[in-house]
Amino acid sequence: MRRAAALILLALACALTASARAQTPQQQLETATRAYGNLDYDAAAAALRAALAQTGPQALSDRDRVRALTYLGATELYRNNRDSALAAFRRILRIDPRSRPDELVFPPEVTGLFQEARLDTRIVTVAAPPVTRIQAAGDRMVLWLYATSYHQIDVAVLRGNGVPLRLLYQGSIGDSLQLLWDGQDSTRSPAGTGAYVLRVDSRGSDGRVVRSVEVPLDIQQSPGDTLPLPPAPADSLFRPEHTTPNSGVRALASGLLVAGAAAALPSLISGKSDGMSARFLVSGVLGVSAIVGFRLQRQPQLIPENAAANQALRLAWQRRVDEVHRDNETRRQQFRLLVHAGTPRAVNAP
Amino acid sequence: MTARTSAVLLAFALASRPLQGQVWHNVGGSATAAMLRFRSAASFGGEALSGPAAGAQARLVLGQVAVEGAYLQGHLTPDTGSTAARDLADATVFLVVRPVRWVALKAGPHLRAYITPGGTERWMLWELRARLIGELVPGRLRTHFEAWVAASADVNVDPGASGAQGGEAGLTLVPTRSPLWVRLAYTFDREKMKNGTRSESLEALVLSVGFGGP
Repeated sequence: MRRAAALILLALACALTASARAQTPQQQLETATRAYGNLDYDAAAAALRAALAQTGPQALSDRDRVRALTYLGATELYRNNRDSALAAFRRILRIDPRSRPDELVFPPEVTGLFQEARLDTRIVTVAAPPVTRIQAAGDRMVLWLYATSYHQIDVAVLRGNGVPLRLLYQGSIGDSLQLLWDGQDSTRSPAGTGAYVLRVDSRGSDGRVVRSVEVPLDIQQSPGDTLPLPPAPADSLFRPEHTTPNSGVRALASGLLVAGAAAALPSLISGKSDGMSARFLVSGVLGVSAIVGFRLQRQPQLIPENAAANQALRLAWQRRVDEVHRDNETRRQQFRLLVHAGTPRAVNAP
Repeated sequence: MTARTSAVLLAFALASRPLQGQVWHNVGGSATAAMLRFRSAASFGGEALSGPAAGAQARLVLGQVAVEGAYLQGHLTPDTGSTAARDLADATVFLVVRPVRWVALKAGPHLRAYITPGGTERWMLWELRARLIGELVPGRLRTHFEAWVAASADVNVDPGASGAQGGEAGLTLVPTRSPLWVRLAYTFDREKMKNGTRSESLEALVLSVGFGGP
């Protein structure tokens, strides 16, 4: 008879175990919360550990993991496993430093123990926008840091090889901290294209780094757009700067004709040649000028007005070119960064 | 006659094509110094006087049409004999058209007065002028020859005027990088009385300095 009863109990245990294994982590969590409400802490602890142990696609979400760990911490506290409770609460803080037990659900001894765990834990999480565009002078990447408790931190951007690029912050953090990064290194030069890391080091009371969080950053830099240089003035806009050489006969003929006319003017008008002798001065000057014109017209002569107009045209174009050069120099000093932030990860958990 | 001539000149100007590179409008002017010589010849004898004169010219250019006015005043003293000295006042107003770059046609009144203590001899002429312009060095040195006839002539001395004609030959220099120009010219004109009783001639060596384009 006893043997038969034992066999029945064993069969029931196997059936229960099989049933528990068939449950999803979410169902296990619900089972555990019911057991916790029924003060069946052993069953609750078993179900919670089973739910938290699940991995893969059916694993609990971060929110449910926090919920499960909160019940687990409370359960272990009531099972007089204080260290296990503290460990569960620390795991909560690693997931979400800002998480707190619901004071309407959990009694003060649970929230008090959680507070103790929080004050003893130095963890920072980083919230960075997945994509940040830095293309104007005032553009910044906005980083939010959330801490479990007040402590000292160092925040820096490191190159892919670990060499520091820029120290963003060194000091204390309480609940949260907003940091801005303009995409430049410590010499105010833009970060080049490549892989970088945003690293947050949490320091203990003795100053040693107790935990670090890294956010991978992928940066792509492109130079600022420059303006094209204005085209040189078309040849058609320039005036001829030199006269076209010719035989000069026309100048010579016209000059000599007028010189002759000046000398003969009294005769031509009045039929008498008794004009003032000064007319021969004019005639002589005209004759010499005719010869000068004859010689000069056989060679290309500079046309000062046209040369000045062409020079003014060239200078105006050169001024525009210089302006564009200066503008482009300013534009080249500007830059555009595209920053992709990856998922934060803890580097060396305590 | 004058109105008809002016209308013809104006129509000619408006019908002409614009000159390439010609300034559409500008204002110019010049100051003139001249040495004059006056001669009169009559059956009973003649006079010879000479003296300096000074004057000014102003010009308003509107495309191919321009209006220019000139005034010259001088004092003539006899070269020989006991002829009375006299003052000269000479004024012209011309409507000018330039159908082509090397030709300028002018028409307008020309007033001249010889003022003596015994009275003033006044000439009133309506003149038609043609000026030919030659470039010796383009933009720098140019010559001109101008000839004119009086379409009508009047004088307040008996027996009255029968006609007048004249000419001018000169050279204009535009110095490099200067807004001014300099002109040296010789002019000669002759006015005749009716019946061939008397004729007068006035010639001048003229030096002008101007601005606004020669």
